[in-house]
Amino acid sequence: MNLSTQSNNSGGLFAFLIKYNTIFIFIALVILSACISDVFFTSINLSNLLKQVSGIGIISIGMLLVILTGGIDLSVGSLLALLAVLFAIFVNTLVLPAAILLTILIGFVIGSISGYLVTAQKVAPFIATLAIMTIARGLGFMYSKGAPVVFETDGGAFMTNFGNGSFLGIPNIAYLFLLVAIIAQVMLSYNVFGRLLIAIGSNEQAARLSGVKVDRYKFLVYAISGALVGLAAIVGASRTNLGSPNMGMGLELDAIAAVVIGGASLNGGKGSAINTLMGVLILGLIGNILNLLNVPSYPQQVIKGVIIILAVLLQRFESK
Amino acid sequence: MNTPNNIYRVEMRNISKSFGIVPVLKDVNLKVKPGEIHAVLGENGAGKSTLMKILCGVHAKDSGSILLDQQIISPKNPHDSQQLGISIVYQELSLVNELSVAENIYLHQLSTHKFWINWEQINQDAKALIQSLGFDIPSTKKIKELSPVQKQVVEIAKALSQDTKVLILDEPTTVFDPKDTQKLFDNLIRLKEQGISIIYISHHLEEIFKIADSITILKDGAVNGSMPVEDIDIDGVIQLMIGRELKELYPKREPTTNSESLLEVANLSAADTIVEDISFSIKAGEVLGIAGLGGSGRTETAKLLFGADRKKSGSILLNGKNITTSSPVAAVKQGIGFVSEDRKEEGVFLNLSIKENISLTNLKAISNKLGFISLKKEQEKVQELINKLNIKANSQEMLVRDLSGGNQQKVALAKWLGRDGKIIIIDEPTRGVDVGAKVEIYELINQLSSNGIGVIVISSDMPEIMGISDRIMVLKEGQLQGILTKENFSEENILRLAIGEYMI
Repeated sequence: MNLSTQSNNSGGLFAFLIKYNTIFIFIALVILSACISDVFFTSINLSNLLKQVSGIGIISIGMLLVILTGGIDLSVGSLLALLAVLFAIFVNTLVLPAAILLTILIGFVIGSISGYLVTAQKVAPFIATLAIMTIARGLGFMYSKGAPVVFETDGGAFMTNFGNGSFLGIPNIAYLFLLVAIIAQVMLSYNVFGRLLIAIGSNEQAARLSGVKVDRYKFLVYAISGALVGLAAIVGASRTNLGSPNMGMGLELDAIAAVVIGGASLNGGKGSAINTLMGVLILGLIGNILNLLNVPSYPQQVIKGVIIILAVLLQRFESK
Repeated sequence: MNTPNNIYRVEMRNISKSFGIVPVLKDVNLKVKPGEIHAVLGENGAGKSTLMKILCGVHAKDSGSILLDQQIISPKNPHDSQQLGISIVYQELSLVNELSVAENIYLHQLSTHKFWINWEQINQDAKALIQSLGFDIPSTKKIKELSPVQKQVVEIAKALSQDTKVLILDEPTTVFDPKDTQKLFDNLIRLKEQGISIIYISHHLEEIFKIADSITILKDGAVNGSMPVEDIDIDGVIQLMIGRELKELYPKREPTTNSESLLEVANLSAADTIVEDISFSIKAGEVLGIAGLGGSGRTETAKLLFGADRKKSGSILLNGKNITTSSPVAAVKQGIGFVSEDRKEEGVFLNLSIKENISLTNLKAISNKLGFISLKKEQEKVQELINKLNIKANSQEMLVRDLSGGNQQKVALAKWLGRDGKIIIIDEPTRGVDVGAKVEIYELINQLSSNGIGVIVISSDMPEIMGISDRIMVLKEGQLQGILTKENFSEENILRLAIGEYMI
């Protein structure tokens, strides 16, 4: 008797729990958090939690698209810093709409460079985006001269208000994250674009021989990832009233972790935006509850790592 | 070998096995004598592979017993069974691409023995072993540089590299051309004369009657007959395998009456492969076969035409108009479809559903201008194709990896049938497909051609290519040797062209 036969026999509930494990982990964590700390269910805490995860959430959705095609984007953390710095500079020098559009556009263009390297030059995604990561971090320090660039204009004040404001008790930027996740999920479930990403990640050669424009879509996901980093940079800078070249250190790993906790396969071809959203919330929740319990930051990292391993092992059950 | 009739090398008694609640083997008995080639036959899903995997310790049996030389054994993993002298050559190759031929052959010993490895010795041993099989493959070459045939040879050498009493071959000849198959058979007969028991799984019934001594036939997980090969003929075997009489393996087809060419290929040469100066034409509704030995450039010609390989020169006319197929995307746009011989790597998406597989090439027809897919249209279109091809599945959502080989191949074909194609290229249409599904695929090819589609079929299976083609074009070393018309079809004529002047 092996394990898989036993789990098949033990009926519906277990299978059900396994299938929707991301959601259940999330719910379990919420309940656990509420039991452990009475501060958890206060609106200030929840609002803070959502604000903290929104930026990385937007980035994780871009990361998901890249991972679906079987690639990876290591540049997102550094790119966030560069684009936040640039956004702060633009806010202080240009009209606000131009600053916003330009930031997202530059993100798109830099993402396109990764995409170009991966598709036209056949550079491994890990290497291509590692190089862009270094370049972006360097540029961030160069443009900011090593110091944070603070918003100084009315436009900047408007963005700071937006970044810290709420609507119906929910932070504005959380709506932005939710919107991005929903659009991504709709594209993945109902649009040709999503179908093709999944096909490419599932079997690139078969997709090519089915007449799919593989390179075009692979190029696009890196560009979109870059553009979403631009959006996240605007969100991040607006929350803090500045753009700092130190932002987003190691953020790429958190984004990858969120996507993986959300059940996506790093081999590509499997993943959903809603589950990635759950993954982002789970990571955020863990950090939040550990903070509430006054756990120091080093043990926090250990606990986070263990949770990632557990989440991935749980998904192994699912695929059996 | 002079052994009493009732002494067996391997006895599998009353083996039963279920996966979850699905029984795959029911009370199966298999008895193999020393120095015997024993064929295990059955349709896909009959339980052959599971039975073999139990014998090698990959799967655990639920009940029953296994005896090797009258001793009860219970191998718990492939390593156990290897130690006992049971080796298997898998249908799906189990070689490490980045390692050399010699390293692969002796991989199982490398880790166990010494700290220092005598590479020279290992390379020489590997070379000698492969030469004893009648092949010549440099033992320092990496596996990824080998042809499929060479890989299979290495796989067999690996199985023989230790003291083997029982050799299990699961569809060993699917990648072999007739010449290599003959070499393999010579080897098997030699091994058998040394007293090794060989269990042989194949869908090629002609092969079985050439080399097997006994046959055991499985149907739906139970033994449906076991006898010496003299006591039965091909028709009898088919009847036991599928439980009904199969009248026509190759359905009758009317040759097309069209006289104009649908596709004209002139002086096509490849930039990166051996294909050179190939010219042929195909009429609407015609089935053109491409034959040749392994490495003759059949698949490469198809891939060149389809734009998967780069062209050097040559022209392609479709309906009298010059077209360029610089990439698969361009070829598909022109109405050309391609079903790869390598189903798992290039044909289907194993981890996606039947629905996602089939609709991938038809997305335009089922989506609006913004690319949003009509799930209703998709469902209908896919169901239509599932019915048309008689794909056996519980639902459209079933993953393709859970289907049998025959049904996977039907999914690979279905991808192209939903479109208004003009040309379809099918590379090895029935590799690893059972008899019942074979006939259905042949019928489908007939149906396609009667709809005016030009069908190009590549096959290593001689009876098959003669049974389904209107004309056969034979290649050798990337060059066109000749095109045979139906009245000149014979294995001898094809081989003569395929091998060149060395054949009488």
